[in-house]
Amino acid sequence: MRILSTLFFISGFAALVYQVVWQRTLFAIYGINIESVTVVVTAFMLGLGLGSLAGGAVSKDPRRPVVLLFAAVEATIGLFGAVSLPLFRGVGQATLALSPAAVAFVTFLLILAPTMLMGSTLPLLVAHFTRLSKNVGRSVGLLYFINTLGSALASVVSVVVLLPRLGQGHAVHVAALLNLAAAATAFVLHQRQKGASGETSSSSSSSSSSSSSSSNAAELAR
Amino acid sequence: MSRRFSLTLVVALMAGFIALSYEILWYRAFSFVSWGRPTVFGLLLGCYLLGVALGSSGSRRFCREDDGDERGRERSLRALAAFVFLSDVAGFLVIPILARLAQYTWFPAFGVVAISAGLLGAVLPLVAHFGIPADDRAGQRLSYVYLANILGSAAGSFLTGFVLMDVWSTQTISAFLGAAGLVMVALLFLASRPSPRAAALGLGTVVVAGVASVFASPVLFEHLYERLLYKELYQPEMTLADVVENRHGVIAVNHYQQVYGGGAYDGAFNVSLVDDKNFIERAFAVSAIHPSPKNVLMVGLSSGSWAQVVAHLPGVEHLTVVEINPGYLELIAKHPHVASLLKNPKVDIVIDDGRRWLLRHPERKFDFIVMNTTYHFRAHATNLLSAEFMEVARSHLLPGGIHYFNTTSSDDVQRTAATLFPHAMRIVNFMAVSDSPLVFDHARWEQTLREVSIDGVPALDLNAPHQRNVLTRLLAMGHSIEQHAYDKYGLEGRDDLLARTAGARMVTDDNMLCEWEDLLKFPKGADL
Repeated sequence: MRILSTLFFISGFAALVYQVVWQRTLFAIYGINIESVTVVVTAFMLGLGLGSLAGGAVSKDPRRPVVLLFAAVEATIGLFGAVSLPLFRGVGQATLALSPAAVAFVTFLLILAPTMLMGSTLPLLVAHFTRLSKNVGRSVGLLYFINTLGSALASVVSVVVLLPRLGQGHAVHVAALLNLAAAATAFVLHQRQKGASGETSSSSSSSSSSSSSSSNAAELAR
Repeated sequence: MSRRFSLTLVVALMAGFIALSYEILWYRAFSFVSWGRPTVFGLLLGCYLLGVALGSSGSRRFCREDDGDERGRERSLRALAAFVFLSDVAGFLVIPILARLAQYTWFPAFGVVAISAGLLGAVLPLVAHFGIPADDRAGQRLSYVYLANILGSAAGSFLTGFVLMDVWSTQTISAFLGAAGLVMVALLFLASRPSPRAAALGLGTVVVAGVASVFASPVLFEHLYERLLYKELYQPEMTLADVVENRHGVIAVNHYQQVYGGGAYDGAFNVSLVDDKNFIERAFAVSAIHPSPKNVLMVGLSSGSWAQVVAHLPGVEHLTVVEINPGYLELIAKHPHVASLLKNPKVDIVIDDGRRWLLRHPERKFDFIVMNTTYHFRAHATNLLSAEFMEVARSHLLPGGIHYFNTTSSDDVQRTAATLFPHAMRIVNFMAVSDSPLVFDHARWEQTLREVSIDGVPALDLNAPHQRNVLTRLLAMGHSIEQHAYDKYGLEGRDDLLARTAGARMVTDDNMLCEWEDLLKFPKGADL
């Protein structure tokens, strides 16, 4: 669980780097007037919200490999992040002449996929942690804490280090690398868990698995 | 859907709305006090999220496994009501505390944000714990709660950021959010089925808090923008002459006719070369560097003083002004030196983002583009100072056209302009750049200074001795380019400028270089 929590911290960090950089990029294309700002911020919010719904729907089946799904989500975010700025600028150039409503729609579409993926991770992991701890408040509190802590750190690091020293392009590349590293680690974790559960079932020893769950629950309770 | 889960969704929605609305208000106040430095956004968001993170973590202490029974749920609701109440009070107090801290050092106000956000951040886990059973559908139900919270946040972004800020002041919006929070507290408390005595006590507390906020609000928010603007210099008698608050920002005007957009100096209501508090001679210099600026574009209007001068220069047939904040038009209408601008048939004023307007109107070409740009170290200044923007401006210039803009003395910006254009000249802190040769024509300069009048009032009355001295000084400024020695208030040719700024770097959209200068240095009142 500690590894997964760390990965969720990294995920929150990367997400906020994207948010800071993407907002700047989109404001340069569509303007910093309040209409543009509202569209961009609202699009971010709605993307996260819809992603949360999707993640929640996927999470309700306990047989689904949540850690593997988390790895896939992080990898996709990272790949999108790596190409995001040229994509935004290209689409921005192509759509500048459209009406404000159409531009708002395009902006929404541009950031819908990545923000949906970002929004899906919390319910996915909450489902996973709650199955272990049987305590929703603590699961939500812990995961929300870890993810938001990563985002808080990213907010400061973005404006104090990443953007001033690396610029927008390299800042999103750092975020993309973090996503891909998180994805790779989660994938390895999933493979290990799969291996461990295979061994557990083959030896018909339920005690080790239940003690593992208990220790995870105890860790959560701390 | 159970009643409990419905209540959970409503609370998550309202909490999201209130939290994001406060964040918008706080950003406005922090941005104003810091002149809109780009680091403030990250620091504020970082403290806000840190608070939310710690709040959500701390809230776990209130989430017990035995909360599943009726008494446990009631206990959860009361804890939730208490958290919402505390977060409501704390959120309401952030801006008044910031305003008072600004007289000393306002940096600790970030801590106040973290505390307030911490209380707000505790609400989501607490409400999730109350409303979601710990079963296999926990993740899915949490997604609904999270969605409700995000929808509330999106509604806050739209309703508060887009609508309320256009009709209400910061004080009124704060009071509205405070009241909304108290309504939520009352709902939660009543839902916890308190005893009649506890209900009377709890609701009494809420009512007292509501009444107290109504009476305290004018005191807490008194001289808000004076305190944020003057900081350590603030004295109770230092009042602002005018404040315009709308969804585009805050514009303040002092009794010396100086304008502060978003807390930073943004010009002054003055077109006089004699009482020249805004270096208005730089606007008159348009005539010295272009023989016939028939069609002029101005990005940024502010006090309208520059537009008023340019519209009266010889040869100017049409002036298009693109301004992002319509609040300036309200102020211009009140100031007699510039009010006629709004009725001048030569002048068109468009409300839009300047860069976006240029990108959306590639067919519009101009003899002259002028921008009295804000400080280069403010957030988003790059959008008008980067190499990319200069290329956009270049694409809108007619043959012989000149792009003329304020660099606010940034070597990086000056070097960027002089590198991109084959012809460049610094005029005080402005850069004039062109693809055609640039000459500061002394004869036209003198003729302009002697003959131009604004609304029938001569720029200089040469019968008055001290005004003749002004003419002499300004004519000498025109010759300073020949000295090849750096004069901050003079002119500088391209070669001299490139040699002087050899250590400077090109500003691009990607590196936003100019904005990160002294990134953790924040302005004081004395810097005004």
